[in-house]
Amino acid sequence: MGIGMAGDAASGTMISLRSAGKQFSARGTTLRALQPLTLDINAQEFVAVVGPSGCGKSTILNLIAGLLRPSEGSVRYDGSEVTGPNVRVGYMTQKDTLLPWRNVRDNVGLALELRIRSASREAAAARVAQMIELVGLAGFERHYPAELSGGMRKRTALARTLIYEPETLLMDEPFGALDAQLRLLLMDQLQRLTQLRRITVVFVTHDLAEAIALADRVVIMSARPGQIRRIREVPLPRPRDIFKLRFTEEFAQLYEELWNELKDEVAKGTDNR
Amino acid sequence: MTTALRGSHDALAASSRLQNALTTPAGVAALRILVIVAIVGLLEYFPWPASAKLWRIRPSAIVQTLWTWLVDGLIWEHLSATLVTMSLGYVIGCALGIGGGIVLGLLPRVNRTLTPFLAAANSLPKIALAPLLIIIFGLGYAAKVPLVAATVFFLVLNSTLDGVKSADPDVVDAMKVMGATRWEQIYKVLLPSALPWVFTGMRISVRYAFTNTILAELIAANSGLGYLIESNAARFDATGTYTAVLVLVIVSVSLTETLVKLEGLMARRR
Repeated sequence: MGIGMAGDAASGTMISLRSAGKQFSARGTTLRALQPLTLDINAQEFVAVVGPSGCGKSTILNLIAGLLRPSEGSVRYDGSEVTGPNVRVGYMTQKDTLLPWRNVRDNVGLALELRIRSASREAAAARVAQMIELVGLAGFERHYPAELSGGMRKRTALARTLIYEPETLLMDEPFGALDAQLRLLLMDQLQRLTQLRRITVVFVTHDLAEAIALADRVVIMSARPGQIRRIREVPLPRPRDIFKLRFTEEFAQLYEELWNELKDEVAKGTDNR
Repeated sequence: MTTALRGSHDALAASSRLQNALTTPAGVAALRILVIVAIVGLLEYFPWPASAKLWRIRPSAIVQTLWTWLVDGLIWEHLSATLVTMSLGYVIGCALGIGGGIVLGLLPRVNRTLTPFLAAANSLPKIALAPLLIIIFGLGYAAKVPLVAATVFFLVLNSTLDGVKSADPDVVDAMKVMGATRWEQIYKVLLPSALPWVFTGMRISVRYAFTNTILAELIAANSGLGYLIESNAARFDATGTYTAVLVLVIVSVSLTETLVKLEGLMARRR
């Protein structure tokens, strides 16, 4: 599998789930995490998946990343079936998977040490410095993950993922643990970055406002076992002003409309627990 | 009446002053010297019955024997034999244990297959193999070192194995998506995760290496502190046996103290 921009698939389908579902069995019981669902995501599209907790949002990302195989149906990436770890995507999991024995600089540069993405020492150092600057961690290069706040760890993980310029970014509630201001700041950065580099993004969140502000399309999931309840285009023009967007009339209307869909599911999700 | 009272009051004050003095480091040291003097004096001058001739302890004779051994170099010869056996066994056991632990940790199916055999081999007191090793290798390092190495091996093997298994599977998944080869996952995640566990195993096994060296020398050797004890006892030389045990105590305490210091140093580093 080559790495690089999907030039040929510039406007075509990049990710395609066809009746892809997932169930887990452990100790004699089967648990369905995801009802068979069909979803096409175009190249350079920003899709946000919103739903109550436990609805299988993360499972969708794991399927696209190739860390899970679907129990039924198929998952295709850029035209071919995903059969193993999908190295063309960058995956930011909910839990930051930083290496505790490496400082920020060495964590961010991790991917560039791998043979598949090998870069010269100087080039790697320059990119690491640039990435650290970008996520606002300059001055913390020598800190270890245990010495960082939750937000700083998230930003380190983001820098570590972005540094190898994946053509697709899978993000699982990346800004969940951050304070409101930082969150807006990072959303703004993410928006500009993904536009600039023409990255396809699948963004999982439970925050509807975040989803509308960032996405071209919002997918609303139903409570467990997860299913697509509604897919809504977000016709807001780009580039968007993340900081002021939420006070506009269009945003409020969209929010109202989608929240009406989501709130039943959130209630159901809570009842099930 | 009043003088008697005052006298007892003074005595009380004096005793509490003495108690305070005895809790200072110098006071504690003085007390300890007192204990040694009392024990040595008791052993030296106790009216042992004639029947105790074979096993009575006479400190003066022990000091004399120790001096003789120091001067004629006998003690250095046996001490170095013990330390060489212990170090060789330790190094070999650690190397094989770390290597085996990594291999088994990376090959879960092989590990699952071998687990009962390893458990059986581990539960066997290694010293039981001493007679067999003597038959195969004769008396000497070739018989002693494997006994020490085997003990260290299992301790280090198990902790290394636990260490490799302790690696966070989510981190390994992240590495896979990043494009890491199997070797890169091992080299960059599994081995660094295992490192603290490996060190723990190595630290614990030092003491086992020492104990097993002495055991091996008691049974399967012609040199070493263990042999010195055994050979003196075999000649019914009580004084020689006690002297050898005294040397063993000194070495053992020094080893423990060194380890405690080293561990303190390592803990501060981290």
